[in-house]
Formats: sequence, structure tokens, C-alpha cells
Amino acid sequence: MIALGQVEAAALLYREGLLLDRMDFDAWLDLYTPDCVFWMPAWRDDGVQTVDPDRELSLIFYRGRRNLEDRVQRIRSGFSVASVVMPRVAHMIGNVLAEPVDEGTTRVDSSFIVNVHDVRTNRSHAYFGRYEHDLVLHEGDWKIARKVIRLMNDVVPTMLDIYGV
Amino acid sequence: MKPFALRDLVDDRPDDGVFRVNRALFRDPALFDLEMKHVFEGGWIFIGLSTQAERPHDYFTGFIGRVPIVVSRDGAGELRCFVNACPHKGVRLVQKLCGNARRHVCPYHSWTFDSAGANRNIKWQKNGCYSPAFDEENHDLAPVARFGEYRGFLFASLKADVPTLDEHLGEARKLIDLIVDKSPEGVELVPGRVCFTYAANWKMQLENCSDQYHFTSTHPSYIRILDQRAKEQSAEVVRSSIGAADFWQEDASGVTGGTMSFDHGHVLNWGVMPVSAALPEFEHAETWARLHGAAKRNWMFNMRNLTVFPNLQLAENASSQMRVIRPIAANLTEMQTWCIAPRGESDEARSFRIRQYEDFFNPTGMATPDDTVCYEEAQLGMAEQDRPWLQGHARGLTASVEGGNDYADMIELRPARSVLADAQLCDESLFGSYYRAWAARMAGVLA
Repeated sequence: MIALGQVEAAALLYREGLLLDRMDFDAWLDLYTPDCVFWMPAWRDDGVQTVDPDRELSLIFYRGRRNLEDRVQRIRSGFSVASVVMPRVAHMIGNVLAEPVDEGTTRVDSSFIVNVHDVRTNRSHAYFGRYEHDLVLHEGDWKIARKVIRLMNDVVPTMLDIYGV
Repeated sequence: MKPFALRDLVDDRPDDGVFRVNRALFRDPALFDLEMKHVFEGGWIFIGLSTQAERPHDYFTGFIGRVPIVVSRDGAGELRCFVNACPHKGVRLVQKLCGNARRHVCPYHSWTFDSAGANRNIKWQKNGCYSPAFDEENHDLAPVARFGEYRGFLFASLKADVPTLDEHLGEARKLIDLIVDKSPEGVELVPGRVCFTYAANWKMQLENCSDQYHFTSTHPSYIRILDQRAKEQSAEVVRSSIGAADFWQEDASGVTGGTMSFDHGHVLNWGVMPVSAALPEFEHAETWARLHGAAKRNWMFNMRNLTVFPNLQLAENASSQMRVIRPIAANLTEMQTWCIAPRGESDEARSFRIRQYEDFFNPTGMATPDDTVCYEEAQLGMAEQDRPWLQGHARGLTASVEGGNDYADMIELRPARSVLADAQLCDESLFGSYYRAWAARMAGVLA
């Protein structure tokens, strides 16, 4: 059985965080499979997160890397005032637990804090929560097939983009 | 001595072709305190949908201005609205956003109330050596002064001396009908509330909803994505409704939409949207024409941004959004937002609606962040004192006419004023309606 070990799985998550910190979006996109799911659920009034992205609201939900490419394009476009003065971010990932699911699939749970400094306003904010990554073997490399971002502090000050979580 | 004079804040001289707003309205903390008391705690405010408390003993909580409230459906099925504070020590009684409870017990000293707001227990009352004067006091939860419902939309006022809810809403009721009539079962909130703040005055959001002028300037990055997605036609990309419309395209010809202003500060900014599969509503197009007539059906497809003054915005454009504006400080606003959708729509339509909603409306999406950042940049500029008058309420003044027009007539809508517009007119004169309603609510405290 081909499985990704704890250390290698954690390394992939750290690499993702590093690429976002460096705003190296091409390399970041390359970590995802073409048919990946990228999902940050919203919170319901009864205090649980939404579970069905087709019947309930998410903060972000995409099926397909192609849609993440749109996000990157908008950030780089020069036509988004929210992306002109880019915030500075630092991802901290911990409590990484990797478990093999089946041949070529590893599920990874982790915790994150992303410190965001908004250069435009000189304000800092920390987003925190949990990640769930499904890592798969794709054309010989381990890629992210599914990432769930469970954002705990979901009252968003002004804006939040893909690099901030 | 009244600290502010209306003429110093709103320069409203229609005969001279002048409508100007002073920057102080966006920045002054003393003025903000007066607004909270007299605009938000002194008149009708939107507080939620009846579907948020559907079964007996269901409740949800919120705020009217700074005052916490709870809306509770009692055992007999009647909705009631109370100040969410225990009469004993003022402690907020209910902490959860929603739930179901026959009894609400105060966490501090266990005073207990039923779902109709009646006090059912004062702990150890008999041994409490209370005076007869205390026993004569009412110990129930305090109901709000006025509470009313229009087709599932709930409104309340902490001040009793206000017009009836029907008078307050007036013609805006017909615009609420366009939303509710999308389904025989009415509308519901899609589960999942999205909340964000921005460091600017609440009137930035109030105006932006009705501001057609900003769309192509603030959102070119999003528009480019829409263009690209339209060309790509692949199943993978998020489909777009607004890309199929031309009310915002600068080269569109003829009447593409316009604005309407109603009494009490409600305004509509609208644009022609074709009855097409680009909208999740398309599955109902024929049914709606049969039930409501073609004219009303076509209006149900049009882009419509409705503000029910001062805190409710219903945006039907890229998707369908219900927003509630909650001012926190002169330079801080909290937004509560939901996707509002017809009940019983197909899985495909619901999913399509949600996908577009997230991309356009969320603070984590591709459009709203560019708005909120602009609000904050505007807030910085509001500090200027030497030239207090903003120039942002002048477009369309010479196009504004009393009453409606052919488009309004189609659904027997009778606005106080209206503007018919091509894509480049982008009326700002409708904002006048906000500030006249604002001035009316503030009349007692402005010289």
C-alpha cells in the first residue's frame, strides 16, 4: 500500500503555507489536482457549520482548480482595490495528524493560525481554525484533492482572500 | 441647545439643483449617537424573517440599534418581540442566535420567562421580603413598542409614535412581493450566515447598494472573470447571471434600468435582465407568467437592489441576498448577510444560486472586498473639514421626475420619484430619499 507518512504529509501542508506566505500562487495552484475541492464552510445560526455546499452557504466553495486560478488572476489583475496593497501573511500549522484512507489517499487534520497584516490600514488580524486535507497520488506526485478550511473566527474584518486562511 | 442644524448637514435645495451631504454625517461620533437613538431606536427597523422562528417556542435574537431583542413564537403560534434583557438586573436573557425553548431562564439569578414573555418565576420570591411596591411592578419581558410582519418580513420599533408598518413600507411592499411570490411557499434563508465588519460609516453600505455608478469602476477584476467564464462555457467554472445582462455595460443602448424613490427612505435601483437560463429563476419562468402575468414575471427577473430604510437591503442581481446593516460606531459597521431563496426550488437552481452568491457577495468572494475597501478609503477622506460638502449625490438630478414611469406602471408601482436611465446615467439623486428620511427621524434633535 502506498501511503503518505506523517512527516511527509506535514511537509506538504507546510509547503502550502510557505507558498501562500510568499504569494507564490503558481506553485500553490500546482499543489492541487485539477478536480480539487476547495471549501470553507459558513456557520449556521444553530452553531454548527454548513455541511452540504449545494444546499447551504459556504464562505468559499469551488469544485475544480480552474476556479482557484480565477481567484489568483483577480489578485494579480491590478483591477482589484482590495488586492492592490497586498496584506502580509504568515501561516502557522500544527497538530498535524495524517491517516491513510486507502491506496493512494491520505487524510490530514491540522490546526492553523494565519496572521494577516493589512499594510493598507496598518491593522493586524489572526484567522484561526482547522484544516482537513485529502492528499492523493496524482501522476506520481502527492497533491491536494480536497481541502476544507474550518474557520473559527468567521466575522471577517473587511475582507478575506485565499491567502489569508 | 441642539448641537447640529439640519441645513449644515444636508443641503437640500431642489429649486437650485443642489443636493449635498456633509462629510460630518459619516464621521461625527456625537451625530452617530443621535442616529442610533433616533434613526435606529426611534422608528421601524427590520429584525428578521418569520421563518427564523417557525414552530411554537422557536426564537431568534438580534438587535434594534444597541438594544438586544428576542423574537419568540409563543405556544399559541403567535410571534412576539421583546427586549432581550432580564428586568431584574438587565442581563441579556438569551445568548444563542436561535433555538427552541418553552422557558428562558436568566443565567444570573434564574428569573424565568415563558415563550410569550411572561414572568413565570422569581427565585425565592416569598422569602425575598419584597415591598408591595415591587409586587405591583410588571416583571415580564418588555415587549417592543411596535412589532409587525409583512409577508414574513418582521419589523419592530422601540418608539410607539410611528406610522403603521403598512404606511412605513408603502410601495416597497410591492417590491417585497416580487421576492416572496417566487414560490407559493414564500422565501427562506439558506442555512449559513456570513458576518463581516468594515471600518467605515453605515451609510457607505446604505448608498453602495443603490449605487450603479461604482460597478464597472470598483469591480473590473470581477467583470473580467465573468467575461472569461462566459467565453469558456465549461461545466467547471462557476456560471454567471449578471454577465448575461447589459444594464451595466457602457455601450448598451436605450433604457437599461433606473431608480425609484419611495416615502420613508426606501429606494430601488434596477436594471433590465432578460428572462433567460442565466438566472436560477428560469425554471419558474412560465409558471410565474401564468400566476402573476408576464409584466410582473419580467420584473421578477430584473436586477433589483432594494433598500428598506434604514437597515434592510434585498439585492437581486448576481444571486439573491438579504443584508442587515448594524452600525457599531461612526467608523465601524457590522453586516449580517444571508442568501435568500424561494422555498421548494430545484437542487440545481439552489446550487447555482449559492455558487454565484459566494463569488459575488461574500467578504471572502471576488466583489464585496473591493466595495468594503472603498468604504474604508472613503472614511479616511471624510476627515476633510474645509470642504465639507460631498459631490456624490448630484448625478441624475435633472432626470428625476415626480412619480413613476412606464416600467413602474407595469406592476402598478407608484414611486414618489423615479429616473429612467441608460447604462451611463447611474442616478445618484435617489440617495436624497435616504437623507430626507434620515432628517425626518432626526427632526426632533436637529435645529
